[in-house]
Amino acid sequence: MRTRAIGNLLILVATVALSYGMQVSKPHYADLTAPIPVGGAMHDMVRARSFGVRLDKVVFARALKTSQFGRTKLLTTSGLWAVVTTSLTATSASATVADGTWQGPAGLRYRQTERLGYRQDMPPHAVDPGLERRGLFVFEVPADQIGGATLLVAARQFAPLDAQARISLDASLGDDGQPAEVLPQYDLDAPPGKT
Amino acid sequence: MFETARSRVQTWITAGAGSIAALFVAGLMGAFGALPAHAPPQLPLDVAVDAGRWRIKPIRAYVSHADVHGVPLKPGQKALVLEADLTNRTAQSDKAYFNVFRPEGLAVPEGPPMIALTRDSTLTPELHPGMTERMAYVWPLAGDAKIPAAIGFVVTAEIFKPRDNLYGAPGWFNPYRLGTVTLPVADVGTGS
Amino acid sequence: MTAISTDGKPAADRQAEKKWRRRSLAALAILLPLTLAETSYDSVREWLHGEDLVARDVDFGRSAPFGGSDWRLADLRGGKAGRLPDRAFAVIATFSVTIGDPDLQRLWLGCKLMLTDATGRRWLPDFISGVSLPDGVMNCTSAIFSGAKKGDVITIGDTFIVPEDAIKTIRPAVGLGSERPWYLRFQRPPK
Repeated sequence: MRTRAIGNLLILVATVALSYGMQVSKPHYADLTAPIPVGGAMHDMVRARSFGVRLDKVVFARALKTSQFGRTKLLTTSGLWAVVTTSLTATSASATVADGTWQGPAGLRYRQTERLGYRQDMPPHAVDPGLERRGLFVFEVPADQIGGATLLVAARQFAPLDAQARISLDASLGDDGQPAEVLPQYDLDAPPGKT
Repeated sequence: MFETARSRVQTWITAGAGSIAALFVAGLMGAFGALPAHAPPQLPLDVAVDAGRWRIKPIRAYVSHADVHGVPLKPGQKALVLEADLTNRTAQSDKAYFNVFRPEGLAVPEGPPMIALTRDSTLTPELHPGMTERMAYVWPLAGDAKIPAAIGFVVTAEIFKPRDNLYGAPGWFNPYRLGTVTLPVADVGTGS
Repeated sequence: MTAISTDGKPAADRQAEKKWRRRSLAALAILLPLTLAETSYDSVREWLHGEDLVARDVDFGRSAPFGGSDWRLADLRGGKAGRLPDRAFAVIATFSVTIGDPDLQRLWLGCKLMLTDATGRRWLPDFISGVSLPDGVMNCTSAIFSGAKKGDVITIGDTFIVPEDAIKTIRPAVGLGSERPWYLRFQRPPK
């Protein structure tokens, strides 16, 4: 009788311990449904499931010049504008690439700006297999989120278990941790190659 | 005989324990609920206040009789405008700032106000982590609405749960009334 | 715990219980996969109805019934025209369609014109500045709302951008919501 009671107690304790262990070690829901990362470096073509992306250039500017409905607009920001130029292609079927995120060194996520309205060179980018096209991603970021940042590119914003390209950015920084070159103004409508 | 009596008592206690505990908790909750509720505090105007996902600092409130920050008004309407500095305290870009402020004691339309970035009149853009931006909350009002000299704005905040109760996903839940900010309301005529 | 309840029972009872336990275990092996199949049935069906998976090949010059109408490849032409990326061609594919069932808004929902190549790559229509469809040719979406009646013959087509290395093997294809997972794939016109 006595040993059975002790035995039952032991089983109870073991069960509680096991359940607690399982609870605390359970992967987070956000991790279970997270996109599948595909890593890469700047200037390399990073192959995700449905598309490929190559990060060609990052330009920082204090203001963006753009024309909307025939009117020129100068957009300012409390941080810096980061204009990321990429080359995009599709893997095996025509696809769209719609989501770009700037991830700071500590993991803060800056989604692409919503202040520019519709533009042909802005997401969503329609991409075709065998063809490369230039696509821009534009972000507003504080200056201290530039060193050690990562560009995240995915087909859609909420795409659980779909591939997400993660490209490490190596922007050249000055001694103060700020980007070495910040343009006072960047003209989005200037022909590519000249800023 | 003795054996059965004892086991019967045991059964009663075991079966009744849950009910007794429930009664006890319910009584306790009722007692606490009957206590006078704390009035939500007045929030200071000169410092930024943490309100859930947002750090807020109201700047000024005024009544506009013309389109303001790109928000169109119907003819005969005026608008109550609250300008506030908002900082995203979370780790990602977000635009869940629609219910942060709500004027008290005024007949404003149901539903969220129009909200514009004062920088360039972009309507409801996402705000990014740690980047303070001045936003204008615009509530359209009937042209003949009486406006008091000072208006209290109810500030609503949410709490962060690393795991919600349904999916175990992180998120912001349980909006609650953090307090009230009271600002004098200027009438700026037709300009803004 | 179980030891208490089984203590002192006749051996025959214990034998029977053991047998039923085994049967239950065996039943699990059948029931679990069945449950899985039942719960995933809807998702699988929906997925199949959204993807162009199985090709139905059509010889050039022949027409094939698809989505209630008869489809025939009318023309496939490619060339350098308009503003194109380097090493890319503009392609126009047109189909001649004899309307059978005129309920196009139901049958042609999710209509997709495509080009496929020998390696299985697929291209969807693209806008090419400087290239427009020939007169009288409409794209699939406008055809759905064109109000075409039974017996009408309409021409449907679209423009594509195709890389140089695929241009030799491209074949036009059509997918319709009411026919998926099947799609029509046409032989190229003979040279």
